[in-house]
Amino acid sequence: MKRREFLATGLAATSFLLAPALLRGALAAERPVTFYGVKSMSGAFASYGEFADKGSRLAIEEYGALLGAKPKYAIIDTESNPARAVRKVQEAIQQQGARFFGGCTLSSTALAVGKEVNKAEGIFMTPAGADEITTTEFNLSTFRWTVPTYGAIHQTVRPLFESNPKAKRWYTITPQYVFGEALLTAAKNLFAQLGIEHVGNSYHSQQEQEYSGYLTNAMAANPDVLLILGFGGNGASCLRQAANFGLKKKMTILLAWTQGLDWFQSLGPELLEDVYLGAQYWHQVQTPLNIELVKRVKKVYGINPNYPLAGDYVITRIVLDGIAKAGTTDGRAVGKAMEGMTYEGPTGTETVRAEDHQVIKDYYLLRGKAKSAMKDADDLAVLISSGKSFPEPAKRS
Amino acid sequence: MLYAFQVLNGLGLGMIYFLISVGLTIIFGLLNFVNFAHGAFFMIGGYLCYSLVGWTGSFWLSLLFGPLFVAFAAWLAEKILFHRIYHLPHTFHILVTVGIALILQETTIMIWGPVGKNISVPEGLQGVVTLWAFAYPVYRLFLISFTIIIALALWYLLERTRFGALVRAGSESAEMISLLGTNIHRLFAATFALGVGLAGLAGTLSAPVRGVNPFMGVEVLGIAFVVVVIGGMGSFTGALLGGLLVGLVQSLMSTIWPEGASLMIYGAMAAVILLRPYGLFGRA
Repeated sequence: MKRREFLATGLAATSFLLAPALLRGALAAERPVTFYGVKSMSGAFASYGEFADKGSRLAIEEYGALLGAKPKYAIIDTESNPARAVRKVQEAIQQQGARFFGGCTLSSTALAVGKEVNKAEGIFMTPAGADEITTTEFNLSTFRWTVPTYGAIHQTVRPLFESNPKAKRWYTITPQYVFGEALLTAAKNLFAQLGIEHVGNSYHSQQEQEYSGYLTNAMAANPDVLLILGFGGNGASCLRQAANFGLKKKMTILLAWTQGLDWFQSLGPELLEDVYLGAQYWHQVQTPLNIELVKRVKKVYGINPNYPLAGDYVITRIVLDGIAKAGTTDGRAVGKAMEGMTYEGPTGTETVRAEDHQVIKDYYLLRGKAKSAMKDADDLAVLISSGKSFPEPAKRS
Repeated sequence: MLYAFQVLNGLGLGMIYFLISVGLTIIFGLLNFVNFAHGAFFMIGGYLCYSLVGWTGSFWLSLLFGPLFVAFAAWLAEKILFHRIYHLPHTFHILVTVGIALILQETTIMIWGPVGKNISVPEGLQGVVTLWAFAYPVYRLFLISFTIIIALALWYLLERTRFGALVRAGSESAEMISLLGTNIHRLFAATFALGVGLAGLAGTLSAPVRGVNPFMGVEVLGIAFVVVVIGGMGSFTGALLGGLLVGLVQSLMSTIWPEGASLMIYGAMAAVILLRPYGLFGRA
């Protein structure tokens, strides 16, 4: 074979072999990007999913062209069940070629979904709280917007203790699963640093409805502060029954991690008054993006944004911005583009830390207002303090 | 002192569990009907309490009308649907009642939304009774007293009245009392309404303690079945003792082994089944 024939044959063969990839790339540029919202639309956390879905939809609707086409949105209902969530995400990856995901409030679900998306080299951004997501279970595909349990404890326990250093005896009530354990570990470490005496802890199951026994244990320990580490329904039931048992008058009550406005609305000012509440987001914070977000959400949905809505709104936007920045739908390239990204978020200037994919943002300590002090129906709490607390990123292996 | 207080807690809890499960056991005892919608009716009782308190400002009106409405809805459902499947195997009962429970749950979400609601403890029953370092809510004391009255009234109704005699006779042989001239369909409908109305009453009474949410029905259904299995299917006394046993186990284990408090409820059930397969007061 002559040199010219060899080159021509080689070029033709290479073109033939590369054709599917080239065609796929050309088609991908024209095909709209689909963002998959992985939300608990039914089951025990349906109240969270409903608002999270609203946030993602809003971000998609207001987004302009992305890689030459308007992005699309598809919903995956986790049914508040990690196993079902993983199966549905696997199906979306295999059958629809899904690559971009956002959501999962439950840490157990987020950890499992993150692994699946990483296998497909996609992108998954979550508001879940367990530290493992950005530490021991870190992977290249998973990003996290919310402040993890470490920061939630540091930005609530520390300012509360500093405002009342005499309150040295603390009792904890903890749900026994990944998230609760992470909060408790962070709390114990901080107690040791601050010289707080941990006078006891009661574990309970995630399905627990009856807290009278645990509250009786707390009364027996005679603490200055009752630290409730349950989230959602767990936290609400525990606080309601603590108030029934008159503990609000006997000790300070702090819930380190609350769902925010919609959760406050369900409890009302009678229960929340003078209770300290940790929050990822608060609609009254005056940052440029938040002022705009509040206006838009009021216009579109007629409500003030709450944490699930604001969280999943910003998650969706970050992923779309990452795709735009990378200029491709290649998951690894998008992940690289998102690393180190700084943007105006609802809590102010936020940065995606490159080392562990953790967004560096503020966490808030609020205090429930008396009904007489409320300016409107959603003015349920006053901002006490805010700040950023994050552990040093773990080194990637 | 801590354990004595946990016993008091357990009694209070046990009375709530009795109220939740007694309707289930009455329906099973007479109708041999497995009602998986029992928890959903409990939830409706709670939500009616929330709405009635919102409209009228009176918890007492909601305590009167909420359970009556639930009982009426149950009577209607029995007339339209449930009486058609009594003769079918239990799998059909489960299929239909689980379907009804899901419909009620989703309807609740449509009407009241997916977020839970809080119901204030009625004025006059707010506050706590303090004993040494411990405090016990006045409302829970009211709940214990009220449930004792309900339990006595139920016992009287089932053991000392003609209606009760017919119900007990019907649970032995429905055909026989039908042949003796009793309108069995009316008796079944009334018993079903009574059982479900008690679930509504339990929902109303526990609303100020636990609040309401669309999934509360599923949560209490598990406990109700545990109580009924421990006490023996169809036994009024069994429901009372089963409820108290579950309440005491849960409360005491909250101090002895907090992380296993819920688990031990099922441990107690397993132990009872091993020793008495038909429950404490059940019959083969």
